[in-house]
Amino acid sequence: MFCFDNTFSAVSEKIIFFELILDNMEDLEGGDPDWKEYVHGTDMLDMKLEDIMAMGADGGSEAAPATPWRKVLYERQPFPDNYVDSRFLEELRRNVGVRRYRYCAVAREAGLVAQQVSCVAAVLTLWSYMAQGRLSPFMLLGASLLCALLGYVLYEALGGPRGSERTRWADLQSAAIFLAFTFGFSPILKTLTESVSTDTVYAMSAVMLLAHLVSFPYAQPSPPGSLSLNAALFGSVCLASRLPGALHAFAMLTCALLVFALWPCLLHRLRNRAPWTFPWAAVLLSLAAVTGLATLSLGGALLLVLALLALTLLCPLLLLRLQRHKDNIHGPWDEAEIHEDLSRFLH
Amino acid sequence: MVLKIFFPQCCNRADSGLLVGRWVPGFDSVVVLAVIHYPFIPGQVKKYLSEMQSAIQLELTVLGSWSMPKDGQEGMDSFLKDLSTIFPQGRWLQLSRELGKRGFACQVIGRDAAVPPRGQPKEGGDDEKEKVIFIHYDQRKVMLSHLHPAHGQEPAAEGVSELRLVFQTVAQSQPLFFLDKYDDGPIKLTHWQSEGREASILVELIKQASVPMCCVLLRATGVRVTGSWRVLNMWPVRFVSSKLSTCVQLSHRTEHLQTISSPRRAQQHADFMRKANIFVSFLVDIALGLLLISWLYRENRIGRLANTLVPVADHVAKELQELLQWLMGAPAGLKMNRALDQVLGRFFLYHIHLWISYIHLLSPFIEMILWYVGLSACLGLTFALSVVSDIVALLTFHIYCFYVYGARIYCLKIYGLSSLWRLFRGKKWNVLRQRVDSCSYDLDQLFIGTLLFTILLFLLPTTALYYLVFTLLRLGVVLLQGFIHLMIDIINSFPLFAGGLRLFRPYRLAEGVKFKVLCEEPGMSLHLMMEINPLKLSTAVQQYRIPTYSCYPKDSWAALCKKLFVGDLIYPWTPLHKGSKED
Repeated sequence: MFCFDNTFSAVSEKIIFFELILDNMEDLEGGDPDWKEYVHGTDMLDMKLEDIMAMGADGGSEAAPATPWRKVLYERQPFPDNYVDSRFLEELRRNVGVRRYRYCAVAREAGLVAQQVSCVAAVLTLWSYMAQGRLSPFMLLGASLLCALLGYVLYEALGGPRGSERTRWADLQSAAIFLAFTFGFSPILKTLTESVSTDTVYAMSAVMLLAHLVSFPYAQPSPPGSLSLNAALFGSVCLASRLPGALHAFAMLTCALLVFALWPCLLHRLRNRAPWTFPWAAVLLSLAAVTGLATLSLGGALLLVLALLALTLLCPLLLLRLQRHKDNIHGPWDEAEIHEDLSRFLH
Repeated sequence: MVLKIFFPQCCNRADSGLLVGRWVPGFDSVVVLAVIHYPFIPGQVKKYLSEMQSAIQLELTVLGSWSMPKDGQEGMDSFLKDLSTIFPQGRWLQLSRELGKRGFACQVIGRDAAVPPRGQPKEGGDDEKEKVIFIHYDQRKVMLSHLHPAHGQEPAAEGVSELRLVFQTVAQSQPLFFLDKYDDGPIKLTHWQSEGREASILVELIKQASVPMCCVLLRATGVRVTGSWRVLNMWPVRFVSSKLSTCVQLSHRTEHLQTISSPRRAQQHADFMRKANIFVSFLVDIALGLLLISWLYRENRIGRLANTLVPVADHVAKELQELLQWLMGAPAGLKMNRALDQVLGRFFLYHIHLWISYIHLLSPFIEMILWYVGLSACLGLTFALSVVSDIVALLTFHIYCFYVYGARIYCLKIYGLSSLWRLFRGKKWNVLRQRVDSCSYDLDQLFIGTLLFTILLFLLPTTALYYLVFTLLRLGVVLLQGFIHLMIDIINSFPLFAGGLRLFRPYRLAEGVKFKVLCEEPGMSLHLMMEINPLKLSTAVQQYRIPTYSCYPKDSWAALCKKLFVGDLIYPWTPLHKGSKED
């Protein structure tokens, strides 16, 4: 009996050509063995292969076979190779690792991004003041140094682990190196972009500050990321070279260093040690930036406010809303993830 | 089984006698070198042949007999047959020729064969169904010629070809040709000397005089070589002399002199050609140099030259100053950093000022210096050219200095920029693994790195422009010097002797042979004429080039461009002197 099953085909009707090879073909002499002799009638069964297999296993008396199908490869079973039973895809899991966010927590974390944007805005405001001559470099310099000192004191007061190599003396040395180098290079920096057109300078600074915002390590700001810090400094140097005097450039660079390099370390410490101060600090900074920008141009201030609100309030809402549409499937076919902490091999 | 008999043309009309020659080993051919005439005493013939054999180191034997009966002489066939018993050989040739007929008759008698009938006009007809081909050759030309290896073959893999053996046989048998049939002696031979060709007396005189002259020359150069090298081995002198092309040329010529003046005769043909080439080119060089001197020292040309030299140097310096002023402005509308521009421009201007004052200091002495330096052209035209090249180098020394400064600054800048760019991205070059790895920098490293990166980046266009300008100037000077060196090289290395030999005596440099059919009568053996096919002129020149010291730059164009881009210094030629002065 021959059965041609068409169930898993997309074509409803087929013509099949086949060859029949019999065991006793060499015994026949003369004349082709006419296969028609062996076909009686044209019966058509309207059954699936599994049913026939199921029938054929035990003579068709029961629906289910005696031995159930097992998902093993090494055993020869009376099922075809592509057989699946009713337990198909029972190990499929959906959205296993999806976190349930809370709005407040997300908004809080988004405050960090907003805070960074306001930092950039603050630096730009200060630069603009100095470029217009409304702010004297000495004042800015003094204020920066004072803030640095205060920040250092706060940092020490909050306590916490300090790196084993860094002593106070090393900190002082770093500060001295910064100041010396900046002061030494400021005449060069002043004339650096003299021959470059203003539009190019502004465009470069904008691109660099944007790169800084994009590549900032928001998860752990304490060791500042190379690319973000370098981009911010490059942008500040470009802007500083447009200022009227060498001392202006020096002051601008010191301020930029303070805001972009030292402030994130303090912020990180604040977040770890005294988490309740963090939102207040962010709000304070944003307000300062907005007011500063408002004195220059109202439109800019408005834009900044909108941006901050969008970042802090709108984006978390969007995140939460879109979580509903997550549809990840997991199963035993996923790549293995190592959950063990391998750092114990390092010590 | 064809027997090839190489028969000299001069013996075509020889009187009857014995054939003397050599069986070529490994091939079925025989070279006939001379004919010994009657009357002779067999014992003396054998003694003479054994003497010759020890002198030449070839297996000379009596090959057979040659009979050309003159009018009135009777055939000596029976006499000739008996001769074969006196000189026992493997095969005995019996050649005979009749006056008026062109073809030869030949019989080859094997050692153990019966006496065959006379050479009857059958099909080429000799016994053992052996065909014989006569190949006639001009003995003198083949003796003097040198067979070069085939095109594309290395000389070491020559292999032993038949032709090569034939040429070697004739060339080595020179002592055989000393005795002639006109000499008084027991043996009378006929070979190419019998044609009456006299050697040139001049050539003989030169050959006789060459050995004592070589000894004298050797002693002269030897003294100079050993005496002066101790002084010249100190490092500063050696360094300077390796840069001046005059000194290089001088040492090159000294080497040549040493090669020529070695009193040993050149054994190999290649050595002889090399010596001859060096000698002839040396002579031509000196002749041209003397010609130049005689032209230069007339009508006070030296004075006029000296008078134009200082204004030329001044002019060059003034042009450079104007160029620098242009760079310090806004050249071609490019935006330069004004401060750096001024610094670099003033620095280079000061150098030019120093240079001009130096030239002015030297100007009274220039005529005298030129006068004495011009005398050195008597050592050859190549010396004059190398002096010119050195003068050009000295006059443009400031361009060279500027190029080096510009290249160094630019190279440092590029290097610093690439390293700081890696720092900008937070990466570092891992020297151990030769790749770029990520690295966590300290705060102060980051700060200073970014500052320096910004500064270097904005100062790049200025430095690049200065570098470009000075590199172009330097390349111009290099091209000029390269042209002069090319001329020197051509004069040094062109093999005049080989070229002249190829033009006037083409048979001396043989590439191969051609055969011409002389006589093809049915029933007689085939007679061919072997003519020497001379080497092509281009092949001769290429093969006998004198090796010179100059080495053309090995950098390909791509490597050169890369070096220019990165700022590496370019050394256009490095002399091939491997410090072989101490030998």
